[in-house]
Amino acid sequence: MKPRFSLDLARPSRRHWLGYLLLAPAVLLIGLIIVYPLIVSVDISFQNVNIARLDQPRRPFTTANYERLFTSADFWNAAWVTLKLVIIVSVFCFLLGLGTALLVNNKFKGRSLARLLVALPWAVPEVIAVVIFAWMFDSSFGLMNWIFIKLGFIDTTVNWFSSPAAAFMVVCMTMIWKGYPFVSIMMLAGLQSIPEDFYNAARVDGANTWQRLVNITIPSLMPVLGVTLVLVMLWVFRDFSIIYVLTGGGPLKATQTLSIMTYEQAFGFFKMGYASAIGVVTLIICVIASRLMIGRAPDNI
Amino acid sequence: MAGIHIEHVTKSYGQLTVLKDFSLDIADGEFVVFVGPSGCGKSTMLKILAGLEEATSGTIRIGGRDVTDLAPGDRDIAMVFQNYALYPHLTVRKNMGFGLKMRGTDSAEIDRRVTEAAKILGVDHLLDRRPKALSGGQRQRVALGRAIVREPQAFLMDEPLSNLDAKLRVHTRAEISALHKRLGVTTIYVTHDQIEAMTMADRIVIMRDGIIQQIANPDTMFRKPANLFVAGFIGSPGMNFFKATVAPGQGSAMVRLFGQNVPLQAPTGLSGREVVVGLRPEHIVAGEGPVTFAVTPRLVESLGSEKYIYVDVPPENRVEVAHTGGDDRRADTIIARLINPEERAGSGPLTLSFDPARLHLFDAQTHIAI
Repeated sequence: MKPRFSLDLARPSRRHWLGYLLLAPAVLLIGLIIVYPLIVSVDISFQNVNIARLDQPRRPFTTANYERLFTSADFWNAAWVTLKLVIIVSVFCFLLGLGTALLVNNKFKGRSLARLLVALPWAVPEVIAVVIFAWMFDSSFGLMNWIFIKLGFIDTTVNWFSSPAAAFMVVCMTMIWKGYPFVSIMMLAGLQSIPEDFYNAARVDGANTWQRLVNITIPSLMPVLGVTLVLVMLWVFRDFSIIYVLTGGGPLKATQTLSIMTYEQAFGFFKMGYASAIGVVTLIICVIASRLMIGRAPDNI
Repeated sequence: MAGIHIEHVTKSYGQLTVLKDFSLDIADGEFVVFVGPSGCGKSTMLKILAGLEEATSGTIRIGGRDVTDLAPGDRDIAMVFQNYALYPHLTVRKNMGFGLKMRGTDSAEIDRRVTEAAKILGVDHLLDRRPKALSGGQRQRVALGRAIVREPQAFLMDEPLSNLDAKLRVHTRAEISALHKRLGVTTIYVTHDQIEAMTMADRIVIMRDGIIQQIANPDTMFRKPANLFVAGFIGSPGMNFFKATVAPGQGSAMVRLFGQNVPLQAPTGLSGREVVVGLRPEHIVAGEGPVTFAVTPRLVESLGSEKYIYVDVPPENRVEVAHTGGDDRRADTIIARLINPEERAGSGPLTLSFDPARLHLFDAQTHIAI
C-alpha cells in the first residue's frame, strides 16, 4: 500500500503539477533578481533619493526626476548618442555578419577554420577586447596611427580619444568588431535551414546570384533577422563595459550613452533617484523598439 | 518543345562513378520515365539535364542546341521538385510568375499566363494564398503550375508524387498524364516507383548502379525484360524466380520445376546450362492447366479483387541471387496472384497451374535474358 498522501505526479490529472514544480526555481530567481529590483527602481525614480537604502522610510512621491530629465541637455545628448550608436553598429554588424555568414556558408577547404575565425571575436571577453582596442588606437604607440600614416590617410598621429568624432568612431568600431560574430552565427544557422531546392528552383527559373540573394536568401532569413536585430539593438543599448573602459563617456560626452549616464548619475554623483528615472526611460524605449521590430518580422515562414 | 539528346554522359565524384555512359534520344513530346532503386543515378542524370550538376563527360542537346555547359536558367527547361520548393514568402501567384519575372517578362503578360496556368490546374482560387496555407495536393499543383507558365522546351520532374498520400498520388498521376497529353511538352520524370513508371511513361529507362538496364515502352518492359533485375523490378508483386538446369527432352529443352519436367520453347543447345526461370505471379492460375501442381499455401492474402498465394519452393529450385528488384523476397517462397478468385475457406491444399510459354529464362551467371 502506498501512503495515502503520496505526491503521485505520474497521474494524468496531476501531470501539470510537475511542470509548475520544475518552473518554480527559475521563476523565483527571476522574481528575486529582475522583477524585484525593477519595481524598486521604478519606485525610487519617483522619489528624491541620493543613496538608496532599503531600511529607510519612503520619501514623498515626486516627478521631479523626470521633469529634470526631460529638460536636461545631457539626457537628450545621451539619447542622441545612443541612437546614433544603435543605428551605426546595427547596420555594420548586419552587413559584416551577413557577408561573413554567406562566405563561410560556401563549401571550401578550411571552412571549419574560417567559421572559427569569424566567430572568434565573440569569444574574447569584452574588457580584454576593449583593452586591446585601446592600445591599438593609442595616440603614441597605437597600431592604427601607424597603419593610417603608412597608407597615407593621415600625415600626423591622431589623438583618437580627445576628438569627439574620432572617439565615437573608435567606440563604433570596437562594438562592431565585438558584435558582428553574433549576427554571423545567427545568420549562418538561418542560411543552413534554407532548403537547397529553393536555390535549385530559382536557378532553373533563371535567377542570377544577386536575384537569388534578394528573392530567396534575404526573405528566408527574415524571421532570424528580426530576432537578431532586436538582440543586437538591446546589446548596444545596454552595453556598458566597452564605452566605459574605452572612453568613460568622454570626450565632451561624445560617447555618453544612456547606460553610461545612468551609471555616472548613480555611482558618480550618487543621484540614484535621477539615475533610476533614466533607467526606466531606457527600459521603456527598449520595450517599444523591440515590440516594433518583432512585430515587423513577417510570420509567413 | 524539343527533343533531347543525351550522348555518353558520365558523372563521377572522385573515385565514385554514379553514371556510366548514359546515352538516350528523347523524341519531341515524349514522356520518358527514369526508374530504379535509390542510388541508381536517375536523379543525378536529371540534375545534369537541368544544369544543376556538371556532367563529367558527354554532351546534352535540347532541341538541337548544345546545352552541356549552359546555366540552368538558359536551358529553357522547367523542373518540379520532390518537395515542390515553393518559396514560402511569396504568394501562389508570385511563385508561379517568378521564373517569368526573372526573365523580365512584363507584368501584364505574367498575369495572363499565371491565370491561364492556374485555371488549367484548378488552383485559380488559391492565387493569393501563401504555400503554407495549401494542402499537399494543392502545393503539388502549384509546383506544376510554376513549371507550365514558363512554356518551356521540356519538363523535368523529380519524384513529384512521393510526398502525397497513396490516394492522392494515384489521382495526381492521372492528372500529370492528362496534362502531358494536353500540352504535349517533352517530359522526363524520375521515380523509384515502378507503378508510376508503368502507368505514365511512353518509354521507361530502367537504371541500376549508374547503368541503363533497359529502355523500352511499358508493355515490352513487362513482357520482355532484358535481364533479371528488370524482371524483378517491374511488376507488383515482382517476378518469381526458380533455379534450374536445362535438360534435353523430347523435341525441346526442359527444366525441372516443382518436381515436374517442364518443356521449354528454347533450343536444345542450352542443355546443361544453369538458368534462372522467371514466372510472373499473374501467370499462375488456379485449377488445371498445361503444367499443374498441387500445393499447400504458406499464407493467403486477400485484396478483395485478387488473392496473393504464398507457396513454398522445393529446395532444388531455390535461387540464391539477390535480385534487388522491387521487393526483397525470400528465396524459398513464390507468390501466385489470382485475379477474381472464388471464395475459399481457410488455407487448404490448392491446385495451381501455369503455361510454360509464359516462362522467362535468364542466364544464371550473367542474369541476361535468354
